[in-house]
Amino acid sequence: MTVYDPPVATYIPLQTITLGSAASSVTFADIPQTYRDLVIVMDASASGTAGGRMFPNNDTASTYNTIRMYGDGSSAVSSTITNTYGYIGDVFTSKTPIIIQLFDYSATDKHKSWLYRMNSSANYVMAGASRWPSTDAITSLVFTLNSGTYSSGTTFSLYGIEA
Amino acid sequence: MQAIETVTVGLGGQASITFSSIPDTYTDLKVVFSIRSERASSVSDTLVFRLNGDSSNQSIRALRGNGSSAESFTNTLPNAGIVPSVPDTFGSYEAYIPNYTSGVAKAFSVEAVEAKNVTTAYQQISAGLYNSTATITSLSILTTDADIAEHSTATLYGILAGSDGTTTVT
Repeated sequence: MTVYDPPVATYIPLQTITLGSAASSVTFADIPQTYRDLVIVMDASASGTAGGRMFPNNDTASTYNTIRMYGDGSSAVSSTITNTYGYIGDVFTSKTPIIIQLFDYSATDKHKSWLYRMNSSANYVMAGASRWPSTDAITSLVFTLNSGTYSSGTTFSLYGIEA
Repeated sequence: MQAIETVTVGLGGQASITFSSIPDTYTDLKVVFSIRSERASSVSDTLVFRLNGDSSNQSIRALRGNGSSAESFTNTLPNAGIVPSVPDTFGSYEAYIPNYTSGVAKAFSVEAVEAKNVTTAYQQISAGLYNSTATITSLSILTTDADIAEHSTATLYGILAGSDGTTTVT
């Protein structure tokens, strides 16, 4: 066990992207490899209801797996998704915060996984986990939607987590 | 992330925990709290997460499980979780408010877990909306049926986002 004395600062702000106009794709590039985990905080809205997607290293070919649970205010659902994108929840025309915790992103001996929490008080609340089947270190993250664009004013903030 | 303030409830409990005069120098706020209610019997209480002392402009949409089934509901009261009472152990909670100084309505999230050594105990995730353009300057945690019990704690953190850097937007 390592005890840090004095304690080490963590949750290090790396970059924030604030959209000045609508965009269909947003990228964090050249992510430093010096942290254990990453946290992405999105305060997002979109031109219409759309599925949020995250692509580590812009990998649009691999098969990603997601398990999620969500509630729309009247029913509770759990389901799985298998596709060629990393699902991070849906984005609506109203504010939809999404918080993603991406673990061991620089490791080269394991597939990468993340937890996400999507919040839309007007639509539904969701929690899920996704897996990217690659041992490559993650050096970039690309965010898209299955349709439409992220609205002007949407923010994407990237943090590095020490361990 | 910086710790702004920690509140520890003293002997006799108190009606609420309030962080007031929150500085506007951060990007996001995070609150981590461990609380239980002074409700005497082993009956759960309800957590209320209130912003700017405003009791009329908040709503939530939640997903909740109790160990055997799941349900989803909405509420115009910011009912953000279940709080165990004195015979039980403390519940664990975390709330996150992005862009709390923005001039638009604020969306936020709350996670709540009621730890109990019994068959039925609740966990809940909530999507909240504070439908106000006002900057959030105070934040209160209270329970609906009794005071918050002694030894409950709450810590408010400020999170400062990074500046724009190497960005690709298309």
